[in-house]
Amino acid sequence: MILEANGIEKSYGALKVLHGIDLSVDEGETFAIIGPNGAGKTTLFKVLTGESPANSGVVRFRGQDVTKMSDFRRARLGFGRTFQVARIFPEVDVFTNVAIAVEARLSAEGRSPGRWWDWRASSQVALEVEEILERFGFARARWRTEARYLSHGDRKRLEFCIALATRPALLMLDEPTAGMSPSDRREMTGLLARLKRDGGVSIVMTEHDMDIIFELADRLMVLNYGEALATGEPAAVRRDPVVREVYLGQHHA
Amino acid sequence: MMSLYLFSLFNGLVMGQAIFLVAAGLTLAFGIMKIFNFAHGAFFMIGAYVAHALTGQEAASLPLFLGAAFAAAIVVGAMGVATDLVVFRRLAGVPTEYTLIAAFSVMLLASGGAELVFGQGIHAIYPPAALGGLIQMGIPISVYSIFIVGAGVVAFLVLEIGLNRLWFGKLIQAVARDPWMSDVAGLRVQRIKLISVAISFALAGLAGGLLVANQSLSLDLGHSYLLLAFCAVIVGGLGSVKGAFFAAILFGLADSLNYILLPTMPGVAVYALLIVLVLIRPQGFYPELSQ
Amino acid sequence: MKRLIAYGLVLLFLLFATAPYTVNAGLVFIAGIAMTEIIFALSWNMLFSYAGLASFGHAAFFGVGAYTAAVFLKYDYGLHFLLVIALGTFLGGVSSFVVAIIVLRRASGIQLAILTLALSQLVVTLIGYSAFLGRDEGIPSIPRPVMEFGLFRIDMNDQVQAYYFLFVMSLLAVALMWLLLHGYVGRRMKAVAIDPERAAFVGIDVWRVRVFAFTIGGAFAAFAGCLLVPWAQIVTPDLVMWLHSAQPMLATLLGGAGFFWGPIIGVLVLSMVNYATRTFAGLSEVLVGGILLIVVLLAPQGIMGFLRRIVERSSTGKPAMVEEQA
Repeated sequence: MILEANGIEKSYGALKVLHGIDLSVDEGETFAIIGPNGAGKTTLFKVLTGESPANSGVVRFRGQDVTKMSDFRRARLGFGRTFQVARIFPEVDVFTNVAIAVEARLSAEGRSPGRWWDWRASSQVALEVEEILERFGFARARWRTEARYLSHGDRKRLEFCIALATRPALLMLDEPTAGMSPSDRREMTGLLARLKRDGGVSIVMTEHDMDIIFELADRLMVLNYGEALATGEPAAVRRDPVVREVYLGQHHA
Repeated sequence: MMSLYLFSLFNGLVMGQAIFLVAAGLTLAFGIMKIFNFAHGAFFMIGAYVAHALTGQEAASLPLFLGAAFAAAIVVGAMGVATDLVVFRRLAGVPTEYTLIAAFSVMLLASGGAELVFGQGIHAIYPPAALGGLIQMGIPISVYSIFIVGAGVVAFLVLEIGLNRLWFGKLIQAVARDPWMSDVAGLRVQRIKLISVAISFALAGLAGGLLVANQSLSLDLGHSYLLLAFCAVIVGGLGSVKGAFFAAILFGLADSLNYILLPTMPGVAVYALLIVLVLIRPQGFYPELSQ
Repeated sequence: MKRLIAYGLVLLFLLFATAPYTVNAGLVFIAGIAMTEIIFALSWNMLFSYAGLASFGHAAFFGVGAYTAAVFLKYDYGLHFLLVIALGTFLGGVSSFVVAIIVLRRASGIQLAILTLALSQLVVTLIGYSAFLGRDEGIPSIPRPVMEFGLFRIDMNDQVQAYYFLFVMSLLAVALMWLLLHGYVGRRMKAVAIDPERAAFVGIDVWRVRVFAFTIGGAFAAFAGCLLVPWAQIVTPDLVMWLHSAQPMLATLLGGAGFFWGPIIGVLVLSMVNYATRTFAGLSEVLVGGILLIVVLLAPQGIMGFLRRIVERSSTGKPAMVEEQA
């Protein structure tokens, strides 16, 4: 079990957003959190990533309590994260964006990211960055482009590269296809599917697009008004009459 | 010995009220504009110069002294309107560091301009005869210092009641809390902001006019209260008038007791107090209006 | 743009390298001061553009270096001046490390600005207590050092030798900072400056990076302070005051924050303004304040950013091919 959450409760003032959520994600599994707008998906997600503290409840990563752990320590443990609106380093080039992540990982592992006076990335770092960028379809000609000139879809892909460069054991994806064009969306789905096939990484994601969820997720949790309506395999959840009524009914009439 | 402490406490109170008179406009400006106005002290100084220009070395009467202070408030308030229109209004959405530096350059402009207009001389200023005397209340107390304490308390009460009870104060608070929503609700956000910025600057000018007699008037004047006023605004909670009031008194007392308890190291207590308070409560006493 | 910067740097190098033989003594003196101010401004920009910290009290660390050098030269402890510089730089680094530990844990933005400002004024206050440090008057008529290097000696009493000593030391400091900020350390700092939260999510310890940047920045500021002393031969609390802390900010913004070379252009422009207006009290403040305001309002990227826009526009509009870090 890579990620486990017990009794997560969260309120904003008098408004209770999460009513004691439990979930667990197995090694290598892809777990999706879905639900209508305002169901508490993003809040739950932020509690799991540690951005927003829960009022009560415990989050464990491979058995270790990470509820109050700071962001960078979680990242070093193996949390990788992307944001709804891609967060990259817009003022530096594409290559440097990924190099920053690779070098951060090397330092965290206690290995040298290169010589401090060398303005080029060390050959080991460069090799790794090149491999990632090529794998995700960034042509060599664009590596020296400042990231702020990238299109929305490319930003999402670059953010993905940054997240993978830290070699996470668990990828937390907050609506990985939000705001993308249909073609970008297909491409991103393909990327995720390939990542899953290659194995070695667990994924927790929130997503609006049901087709993507049913294509990728091994299991999913349906949230409604801050409570877990159902958890299980997609086919089983789809058959669940309660879920059909409150949620899927709106989409799959 | 006892009277020494009493004297020192009273001095601290006077100092605190003087600091508050400067800090009040500063914290108000932050609440409205979300800009920390470094230039506030420079405008305080301009207010003092304007009042001095009107009254000369010693105001002939109390009404003339007060009139000059209000005239200084109006002049500096008008400068505030100009500054807002030309500079601050355009800084919405700019990172904090840049707004700080923009305010800093306004300060350079204002103090440099004052140097060009008023020259570098140092003038000794005396309070008008009506405020010049001493009263014996166990310890000798100057009427002028009682006047400063009174002015500080009046300014505090007017601001507190004005902001929390009166209609226009509530408008200002609404705009400060959520300019976008206020706009949707049909408030004339820019105009209300402009008026409150004018009030904030006018407070700087008024403070300059009232405090001018407290010390010799020179181009350094701005900085002596200024830094303590900055500290009071931070420690009180950015944007909070109440916080600035109490923090200003605290700093005044610290500085004044410093002279008795640590006579070899004048002026060090306020910094120690600032560091400790910011470490304990970085958001300030009353963080309500800060972001 | 890259070529433009290269030409500019070569021109600058030649101007500074030949100054003692091409311009009058007054300008040579200003060139020497400008070199120390360049190091000072670059060290501030290291905090601002590469770690996202706007310090309003950076002059305190400059002062630590300057007063260390002044004490050793004035009271003639016989320490080799290079070691004095090393000591001053080290003390600057230690004091900024301590300040960083105290301040960066809780404060950011405006709180950081006021705290650093207040701490630097505290240093001014403390100097005022000490007769040893000359109280408010400072330490005047500091003798210039003579340095023995075995094979040769540098006598700073000779204006030309003193100038070239300053020149070489400044080149060294600039080169060191350039290398540091363009290697992986600089990349890591840049990540923190751009988006601290994102940086944390790739496993960067934001707090440590900031403390590191603050420490190194303070050390370089102290280094600049050490260099100034034998050249100017006087130190006063003015070097520690807020107005001096403002100089690197003004230079950086003017030249272009986010560009390594920006502060250098800023210092040169400011030096020229100050030189041209030296006889009119207040005028230089008005001019500097006015110019800076125009920059912040109309060209927040400074002179370098303005140049880059022009270059981009003229090079057939290929914004995508701009260099990463000028």
